[in-house]
Amino acid sequence: MMNTKKRWIVIFLLPTVALFLLIYLVPLLIVFVTSFFDYRLTASELSFVGLSNYISLFGDPDFHKAFSNTIIWILIQCTLHVGMGTLLALILYKKVRGWKFVRTVYMIPNIISNAAMGMIFLNIFNPSYGVLNSILKSVGLGHLAKNWLMDSATAFPAVTLVWFLFAGYTTTLVLSSALSVDESLIEAAKIDGASPVQTDLFVMLPLLRKMIGTTMVMAATYMLQMFDLIYITTGGGPGKATTNLPLLLYGAYKGENNYGYANTIGVVIVLMGIAVMAIINKVMKVNDDEY
Amino acid sequence: MKKLLVVLLITAMVVGMVSGCSKKADNKKSSTNKDGEIVLNYPTFQCGVNTAAEVVAKLVEEFNEKYDGKYEIKLEEIPGDTNYVDKIKVQLGTGDLPPVIYGGGFNLLDLALAKDLVVDLTEKVDADSEWKDLYSEAALTTNSRDGKIYASSVEGSLVGYFYNKELFDKAGIKEPAKTWDEFFAQCETLKKAGITPLSMDTADSAWVTQLWLGALVATDNESGLDFMKTMNPTDYNTPEMIAAVEKVQKMLKEYTTLDAIGGKYEQAANNFLSGQTAMIANGPWMIGDFTDETKTTKDFADKVGTAIYPDSFVYDAPIQGYFVTKQSDPKVEEAAIEMVKFFTSAHAQQLGLDLQGMVPASDTVKVSDEAKDKFPLLSEFIELAADAETRTDNMQATMYSNLLDTISQELPRLQSGDIDAKGFCEIMSKDAAKNS
Amino acid sequence: MNTNTINPRDRLLAALKYLFVIACVIAALFPLLWVFMSSFKSNSEILSSGVSLPKSFNFSGYIDALRISPILKYFANSVLIAGVVTFVNVLLLSMAGYVFARCQFFGKKFLYFLLSLSMVIPMTALLHPVYIVVNSLQLYDTKLGLILVYTALNMPMSLLIMRSTFQGIPRALEEAAYVDGAGFVRTFFQIMLPCAKGGLASSAVLAFLGSWNEFTFALVLTSGESARTLPLSLSYFTSQFSFNYTALFAAVTIAVIPSILVFAIFQEQVISSLTAGAVKE
Repeated sequence: MMNTKKRWIVIFLLPTVALFLLIYLVPLLIVFVTSFFDYRLTASELSFVGLSNYISLFGDPDFHKAFSNTIIWILIQCTLHVGMGTLLALILYKKVRGWKFVRTVYMIPNIISNAAMGMIFLNIFNPSYGVLNSILKSVGLGHLAKNWLMDSATAFPAVTLVWFLFAGYTTTLVLSSALSVDESLIEAAKIDGASPVQTDLFVMLPLLRKMIGTTMVMAATYMLQMFDLIYITTGGGPGKATTNLPLLLYGAYKGENNYGYANTIGVVIVLMGIAVMAIINKVMKVNDDEY
Repeated sequence: MKKLLVVLLITAMVVGMVSGCSKKADNKKSSTNKDGEIVLNYPTFQCGVNTAAEVVAKLVEEFNEKYDGKYEIKLEEIPGDTNYVDKIKVQLGTGDLPPVIYGGGFNLLDLALAKDLVVDLTEKVDADSEWKDLYSEAALTTNSRDGKIYASSVEGSLVGYFYNKELFDKAGIKEPAKTWDEFFAQCETLKKAGITPLSMDTADSAWVTQLWLGALVATDNESGLDFMKTMNPTDYNTPEMIAAVEKVQKMLKEYTTLDAIGGKYEQAANNFLSGQTAMIANGPWMIGDFTDETKTTKDFADKVGTAIYPDSFVYDAPIQGYFVTKQSDPKVEEAAIEMVKFFTSAHAQQLGLDLQGMVPASDTVKVSDEAKDKFPLLSEFIELAADAETRTDNMQATMYSNLLDTISQELPRLQSGDIDAKGFCEIMSKDAAKNS
Repeated sequence: MNTNTINPRDRLLAALKYLFVIACVIAALFPLLWVFMSSFKSNSEILSSGVSLPKSFNFSGYIDALRISPILKYFANSVLIAGVVTFVNVLLLSMAGYVFARCQFFGKKFLYFLLSLSMVIPMTALLHPVYIVVNSLQLYDTKLGLILVYTALNMPMSLLIMRSTFQGIPRALEEAAYVDGAGFVRTFFQIMLPCAKGGLASSAVLAFLGSWNEFTFALVLTSGESARTLPLSLSYFTSQFSFNYTALFAAVTIAVIPSILVFAIFQEQVISSLTAGAVKE
């Protein structure tokens, strides 16, 4: 019995592990190893440079900016964005009228290609004819109109809006988890005299904790990989106001053809990912096996 | 147990589907023969809405006809210029390049040369006087390194600016400016008449804006022109550059549209095409847009005039051409050389001119009457350009590629006054230094 | 949802709730409407107006879209590739997720840690090695090559979701199955998988969209029409100095509308199976 079970465990894991070995292991090793090398597209050989990539990276003010931007975006995404998606899921799981419609519609922005989403927001924020400035002008706040994506003061929040509002993944995941919660638990809370809000807060949310933690991990890794929406809308500017680590990496990779330096940034991203996942797992107790 | 069976069945179905999806991986990018024919897989970005798409398709057709039974080109469409560069770079990194590459405005030649993957064409060109005659002095500079010819150009980049005659009339301006002082006076006149003088941009490496910048640098003094002729310059902290950036700052602040800041080329073009701005710096490939009614109004083409830059300057340089990469099979290399020769022949250059108004790389190719009829503005511009006293390539063709993003990031701050011209030049120099 | 609440605070709460839902719906519909409207506008209209109705409704954008790019062929490829990826991905990762959620074995934590690293590795780092792997497997420019890569790319998310889904299912269920004499595999397919429908559906949706929208690998790993996918077709409409935005947005519309329909039907299926009460203890 024990042996057959062990065999099945191996069989169940095998395809996943094989995929990992085939696609991810080598790149992971390359990223770590070449971050200690002077490795460029144009050079035929690599030379070992020790920590010099790390030293110049940590001394680069652009890196400081990109690093803090990335952290801020992760925080916003893990709290406000996930909170928004969860809130919608908590409203929808009670099957209010039209909940199926809302659930489907809210996923639509995730189906539209990022190239198109970027252009839509360029249009919304356009200083000459954009919707935002038009609205401001029509309500007599014309003096507030500005070039939102290109003003050093507003570029960061403006770019954030490009993805912030669309929490379709979170809603879908949390909602599916909420729908599979045993209804008798909710009934019991009602009988105990809990208001709907109390039921949501003290019965539902704790039950959804793991799934919410999962969506937080997803949100955080999404921000650690966020590239094209920023590149299309602001290109990381003005200055470095909206540059994050993937943009910085892309610059080193594509602009400078400096793969060693790019991979050094890659190592930082991977390490940040590990740290963020560890923190979320700790806070949300995702790894607890207790039900 | 039934359910388990169902699952197994579905799995089997999927496996069947999957294996159906993997068609035999016959002739991929490395070229193999079928019935003794050598197949050249040629990836190109000149497809879709790219203006040269028609020309390349026609050349492929003609080539395949001419070499029927011997060589065959198979087009691999890679829509989007940056996608093309991205893919070639990945293949470069893995040493797995297609036999023929078009260097275009992306300077792929130096990247491939650094990996020693390019075939030396010197002997072949020298042995063929017809081919050799197509190389002008400038074409040799663009396409050779250390005295060896590696590439062959088909197209030239001849860039001045376009102006809206109607708007010039309205402001009382008779003709394009001869000097920069006159140019800025005209901008002021236009502005006073309620007309936005210039179309500009900052996104996607600020093509339009950097054309003005480069023209200012090249005409400032001798060392400015030297700077423009240097490949991969590193020092932007020069008096002529700072002076030019100051003028560009003024242009961005006072003489252009609100949406120039953060705007792409498309926006700049649209502002000119819709008659909102009086001038746009750009090359002859734009001429086709003046008659395209999805982009502009009827009869707009009649309002457009063309000019070279103040101080008798024009951008004039062959665009880096086609080159052949080293292949394991010498026969493939031979075929690739034939293709490059055919694609850059006088006939090919003439075809590009007649079909799309592309400026030929070689000055031995004359503007045909057919092209004159079809593109009157082009022939007018070529005549004007012939008289220009100063000429060189544009900045983007010679600058380190990471600076293309730097320009886009820093121009908005230059406009808002967050940084001044000196600060801008310092950042450019700093980022240029990242390449060494 | 009770509309006859008398308490004013409850009423305010209900109003706020609806306002929030409506705001979310508007935010989500806006991009779609904008794209749809733009597919009827001329290039100059798109570049000089914000939210407005097109001056005239004609289908020239759609005709151009179909003429300029092989969009229908790419669409068919996308459907096939995304479909297979979704099925294979969900099947494999639910197996792995189950083992990670329920079984004890040596090195489990480390293995899981290693696997979750794949979630944060930068895409650019993957490009060259994956190109080499796919090439050496003779899968360059094949659908199977893309299926392989996309199954792997969607691995971390699905693993995360499936593991936490299985963790959320009461242990008593499978213990009962074991007592009844069911084996490991049977317990998994007959007892656990039906209970995990919510998670399965969610990872299916994610895997589908992930492969539906992926661009970079589709670009690098294919060369011809036989394997290319939808996102590549959008590049046909903009080049450095030439653009056809009308056709671009027509193409985006062509890409989006059927996917929404498929999506809606798919979700309906999932919901009905969920509400059928498979999860009742």
